[in-house]
Amino acid sequence: MELIFAIFIGLLYACGVFLLLRRSIVKVILGVFVLGNATNLIIFLAGGIKRSGAAFIPEGAETIDPAVISDPLPQALILTAIVIGLGIAAYILALKYRYFEETGTHDLDQLSKTDRK
Amino acid sequence: MILPALLLIPFLYIILAILIKSKKVKTWLSFAFSLINLGFAIWVMAQVFEAGMIKTQMGSWPAPFGITLVADRFSAFMLLVSALVFAVVTLYSIQSVDTARIKNGYFLFAHGILMGVNGSFLAGDLFNLYVWFEVMLMGSFILISFGGERAQLEGAIKYLILNLISSFFFVAGIGILYGKMGTLNMADLSQKIAQSGDVLSQLSPAMVLIVVGFAIKGALFPFFFWLPASYHTPPPAVTALFAGLLTKVGIYSLIRIYTLFLYHSTSFWNPVVLWIGILSMVIGVFSASSQYDFRKILSFHIISQLGYVVIGLAFYTVAGLAAAIFFLGHNMISKTNAFLVAGWVHRERQTLNLKVLGDMFKKNTLWGVLFFISAFSLAGLPPLSGFIGKYLVIKAGIESGHINVALVALFVGFFTLFSMVKIWIEVFWKNTPPEVEAPVNTKPLPHGLMISASIILALAIVGMGVFAGPVVNFCEMAASDLLNTELYINFVLK
Repeated sequence: MELIFAIFIGLLYACGVFLLLRRSIVKVILGVFVLGNATNLIIFLAGGIKRSGAAFIPEGAETIDPAVISDPLPQALILTAIVIGLGIAAYILALKYRYFEETGTHDLDQLSKTDRK
Repeated sequence: MILPALLLIPFLYIILAILIKSKKVKTWLSFAFSLINLGFAIWVMAQVFEAGMIKTQMGSWPAPFGITLVADRFSAFMLLVSALVFAVVTLYSIQSVDTARIKNGYFLFAHGILMGVNGSFLAGDLFNLYVWFEVMLMGSFILISFGGERAQLEGAIKYLILNLISSFFFVAGIGILYGKMGTLNMADLSQKIAQSGDVLSQLSPAMVLIVVGFAIKGALFPFFFWLPASYHTPPPAVTALFAGLLTKVGIYSLIRIYTLFLYHSTSFWNPVVLWIGILSMVIGVFSASSQYDFRKILSFHIISQLGYVVIGLAFYTVAGLAAAIFFLGHNMISKTNAFLVAGWVHRERQTLNLKVLGDMFKKNTLWGVLFFISAFSLAGLPPLSGFIGKYLVIKAGIESGHINVALVALFVGFFTLFSMVKIWIEVFWKNTPPEVEAPVNTKPLPHGLMISASIILALAIVGMGVFAGPVVNFCEMAASDLLNTELYINFVLK
């Protein structure tokens, strides 16, 4: 299962990088989203994939065998990363829209003015 | 309990700025909050000076389970310098930034950056560090595109996408590291790596990802391209704030993880970091000499100057790290001040193209002197802070046997001087070229607050140069704390 997952993440990274290298800004932005999701899945994979219970200690018990629960921390981390990603997605789309209004183009080759001397 | 206050003060201002409508109240409240933040930074400094380190476990969860905020001497130094830079830039912005931007929440987002910067300096946990990075980046994304001029939008898109990619590198590294080690608390990680011997070779992928993430954030050699493409587009006050705070957080984090994790395999990391530093210095300074825009020259010099800090780190001796810390502080102050002067020139002449500028020294001698102080501090002339910084870096290099590196640093210093003299002659000394029309408004614009802000920083530059003794002593103590990893681990975990 982990191997399939890792290959899938690799494919997502490949798609993300491919989109990043396109000329259209919209595709670049989509590439950024795909890369972000691939990265979130890496954290998910790092926690280990297995069928196990929720991370609660039953009432009355002092401890619980770590083998029967899944690690809750990676899920909490992903949740944080997803929320941050959502905020950035909203901002980047607004920026793209403003840029389109200002210039009427979504061609990245038009974006070379600030690099000139 | 004073460490969370450094996060709550900017946050409180953000809430107030949303609620308050009056522009005047918002503006002066912003300055007041930046002063309160400076006060707290001084307080943290005083406590750290006594105790060496202070920490807060959020929610009373003991480390490594909860979120730890920890300030050692290095963090306290960075907090103090960044609080000073922020307060001064806020004072400057009151007069320099246009009304429309201030009305729409310029100060709100600036405080967002401050919150992220403070958080990054205090974070004792890798994921927490990432979150503070994002807070800081979110504020900076908005400030860099704020106002929506065409050049700004172009710069913002480049800045945004490259910084997001650096965050992905960083998070992917964190994920792999967590999978291997099962913890993200920096002290706990460092302890586990030290105990498990050769595990670091397995961690190399994660470490490479994290270092690349920091190198993009810190604008180091092969990853710096976003910086000169975007830093000259927003209003000058924003550039000054970015130059003073943002890249330095990346370098701070690099030093932090180097002294906690990477030092276990110095045979791999030392040459890598050393070469990154050397190439940043050389490429930055050469690119700067070919530019003809005031702010672009200074932007390329940010890259070059950060190279000095990184080679100081790569020497990995007490003297080298102390030099790196001192240089970081000096660079934050001098660089910000140089950008503040650029802001005044821009306000007077509406352009920063060196070819059409001139006569600025005649226009206002005091601003000329202020530029002289900050530029020649960057170039490393005595008795300014840059001289001490460069002297320490070069001395540490010679002592640790890197004589060639020290020679390169001297050579780069010569070219820095060349660029600064170029700006000085083109902007302040020469006559305005006859084919350029004389500026329409001959009446000087009000610039009282702007000039007082710049004077404060200039005094700090001179002070750091003339009374360098205590500062250098403090940096040496901070450096030996950093090298004594056990001290940090024991303090956080017990």
